[in-house]
Amino acid sequence: MQLKHIYIGFLGLIVLSSFAMIQDDNIILDLKLLTTQTEFESGSSITLKFSTSKMSDLILYCSSSYGTTLLSPKVEKSTITYTIPDHISNKSGQVQWQLINGNNSLSGQFNIIPKSDVATMETYIGPPSIEAGGTDYTMLVVIPTDRLDNPLPKNTLVNAKHQFLSSQFSDSITTNHIIAYKTIYSKNESGRILVSSESSNTNSKEYSITVFPAIPTHFKISAKQPHNYADGNQVTTFETSVIRDKLNNIVSDGTYVSFFITNSKGNKLKTSGTTINGVAKAMMIHPDHQTQWTVKGYVDGISESDPISVNFKQVIEDFDVTFSNNNRLISIGPLQSFMNQLIPDGFKVELLLYKNDKLLNILTKTSIDGYVNFNLTSNIATNDTYTIVIKSAGLEKAFNTINVW
Amino acid sequence: MVNLNRTIIRTVLIVSYILIISLVVYAISALFGYLNTGADRSTILHTELKKIEQYKPKVIWMPLTNEGRPIDNESLKAIETDYLDAWYVKQVAYKTNTTAGINDYYTDNARKNIFDFITLNSNENISIESTTLEHHPKLEFFSEDGQLAVITDNDVIEYKRVYKDNKLVIETNEISTYKVVLLLEDGFWRIRHLIKESTEDYIVELHQIATNHLNIKGINYYPQATPWDMFGDSFSKDTIAKDFKIIKEAGLNSVRLFVQYDDFGKANVNKEKLDKLKLTLDAAETVNLGVVITLFDFYGNYDVLDWTLNMRHAETIVSELKNHKAIIAWDIKNEPNLDFETRGKAKVIAWLEHMIAHVKSIDKVHPITIGWSNTQSASLLNEQVDFISFHYYEDLDKLGTSLEALKNEIPNKTLVMGEFGLSSYDGIWKPFGDSEKDQANYHKKAQDIIAQHNLQYLSWTLYDFTEIPKEVVGGLPWRKNAQKNFGFIDENGAKKPAFTYISKPQ
Repeated sequence: MQLKHIYIGFLGLIVLSSFAMIQDDNIILDLKLLTTQTEFESGSSITLKFSTSKMSDLILYCSSSYGTTLLSPKVEKSTITYTIPDHISNKSGQVQWQLINGNNSLSGQFNIIPKSDVATMETYIGPPSIEAGGTDYTMLVVIPTDRLDNPLPKNTLVNAKHQFLSSQFSDSITTNHIIAYKTIYSKNESGRILVSSESSNTNSKEYSITVFPAIPTHFKISAKQPHNYADGNQVTTFETSVIRDKLNNIVSDGTYVSFFITNSKGNKLKTSGTTINGVAKAMMIHPDHQTQWTVKGYVDGISESDPISVNFKQVIEDFDVTFSNNNRLISIGPLQSFMNQLIPDGFKVELLLYKNDKLLNILTKTSIDGYVNFNLTSNIATNDTYTIVIKSAGLEKAFNTINVW
Repeated sequence: MVNLNRTIIRTVLIVSYILIISLVVYAISALFGYLNTGADRSTILHTELKKIEQYKPKVIWMPLTNEGRPIDNESLKAIETDYLDAWYVKQVAYKTNTTAGINDYYTDNARKNIFDFITLNSNENISIESTTLEHHPKLEFFSEDGQLAVITDNDVIEYKRVYKDNKLVIETNEISTYKVVLLLEDGFWRIRHLIKESTEDYIVELHQIATNHLNIKGINYYPQATPWDMFGDSFSKDTIAKDFKIIKEAGLNSVRLFVQYDDFGKANVNKEKLDKLKLTLDAAETVNLGVVITLFDFYGNYDVLDWTLNMRHAETIVSELKNHKAIIAWDIKNEPNLDFETRGKAKVIAWLEHMIAHVKSIDKVHPITIGWSNTQSASLLNEQVDFISFHYYEDLDKLGTSLEALKNEIPNKTLVMGEFGLSSYDGIWKPFGDSEKDQANYHKKAQDIIAQHNLQYLSWTLYDFTEIPKEVVGGLPWRKNAQKNFGFIDENGAKKPAFTYISKPQ
């Protein structure tokens, strides 16, 4: 009987103690956030303080803009304190925290706002070059940031400033979605726009935008000749007028101008040059026979000039041809120019060798001291009868039945 | 005799000569082949960059109303790709506490913030497995020169598992909104500013789908010739239609089919396989059979960074098939509890939870279950699934008790015995195995219990198989051979005694 009582008593104790344990479990869950502040300036030291009914070192989960981490507390008698590390407290944004305590976790958020003073004007500008004329534009994008590289909040005032020629402009813009932007249109003149921005007395660096002239308009060309004889030696220079865009800006240096020359036979020659101060120059050697050139300048695909014509007079009226050395040595000359002077070296003479109207060979030589000598070696002409034609300065002389031996 | 000997010696000599020469030639060619492998010359130029799909959260762009320059689709796509890559490298960085890839996707000033976290976390031995499941970005601004973009990424659903000293400390689901400034540098869209504007815990509300209409009396099905390779090259709709007819005529009303994750092309679901699955469903519909589709068969990674790919896989299949009349339910995963040991229970459960929510978000009509491998695990996630299914290969005498226990624990959910059966193999690898008669008795008894408890069921399986891939039960012959003989119909097409009890106890 007594044993039974003891047994019941013992059972009762076990039951009681198990209750006690359950209650004990509940007690340590009594946690409360003591920190009431939910908004902090970036860079300030942030601590979260909790009251607890029992000493405990619970872990705090903490997730900010860039990442997530776990923090351990500083435990005092009835409070536990978490110090938020710098790299979380320095960056603006909402921070989610959770005090991990099994199923009874405590969670919340706090905000970190950027400092109100601007430390840097993060500036992006582009495109770096635009066209004059008022339709093309560039865009200035500014992100005012605080000392800790946090963009300032919405509606931060930014002064977007730019200077062009004699005028200066200042526009007030405000940030939205982190950035503030301003489109800057070109004016009629070409040149350089200087851009800067300012917010809360912090100024950006100077940025520059090149305003290039617009596309060239039609232009004129002229030709400059030392003389108008077709001596195959002198050089004619073609020159454009000052090429301008529609707004009278001189086109950019280096604008490529091609000159197309058409001679009286309809053959085409081409020369080209690039502009300096709007003027492009190009040169072409004189022809060696009388002709007329029609010249036209083009900026490819964009603009062109009116055609001009240039005349060349014949310089060599006639020349002598002498045969010697069994008709194998043919001497042409003297070749005389417009003042009867010997033509400058390098004047072209051609010899065409025919046999029974069949062209066998063309020999080309240039003059030296007013003469050209052809030597018909046995490699070129075996002992036979040929027709020999001499061509020079647009003239042609034929010698039939020349016996070479 | 001498002549014969000589011929033999000659033959042996010639054959061995040929053998040695061919071996030498083979060895040389193998060596040559080996030396020729390695970098292809064309790879020197990096002309071909293969993009590996690593991270595919759901991205839904808000309508374009951005300030600044109007954006074209290519640029938007480029921003999206690099922005998601930025998330991916960040998640890898926080998981491993290394900085690989961060420099490519964060500018000088932004990457410092990430490095600070990595330093702190690696000092404290904290690692974070995380992923984002959804993004709803809105392009706010695109600069005139196309070098700067601002986006607001709304309602980013983030999932994190935070470990300290390799122990899971916390698992979080958060929904946050970010403001992001991206700069185009060196051909990469890099994050310059990242601000979390708001964040809160994300709680998924799962709506329960009624299962009163369910009356599953069915069988797990693989074609006899191509078990575990149902949608391969030898796919034949006629064979399947014939089998479905047999099943229907046997008095059953449903089949359970398997969709293998790798086989179906992972995140980019193979259209051809999906079409074959649709043809199978058509065949089922013709004879009025319902189909339970088991997703993610042979998948066993569960890695948090794999989730987005898994979700794209499920999304394609479920959204493509959810309106098919043959579908009756989705089985998220076959026997996931078998992966608890190797992958960790918490990780598998978290994966299942999110996959249930994801499938439910796509298909709001068909109920969802998980095919647990035993009754003990069947109560896991019972709040989330619409009906409970478990597999039973233990002693039938204990089935009744287990069922009662389950019903007590989860009184308000339908129970389905998703797999049960007995192998009739008693060959040399298992001399005292069960005979076909034992199998018949087993099914008779099982049907008795089923009738008693008004249980829904899917038996294993219609056919005896001749080939079992080693992924199914491993390579051990006694397991393989046993697995071959679970069918109601033997390899010659003859109905085994058990067939009588395929749908009823008599």
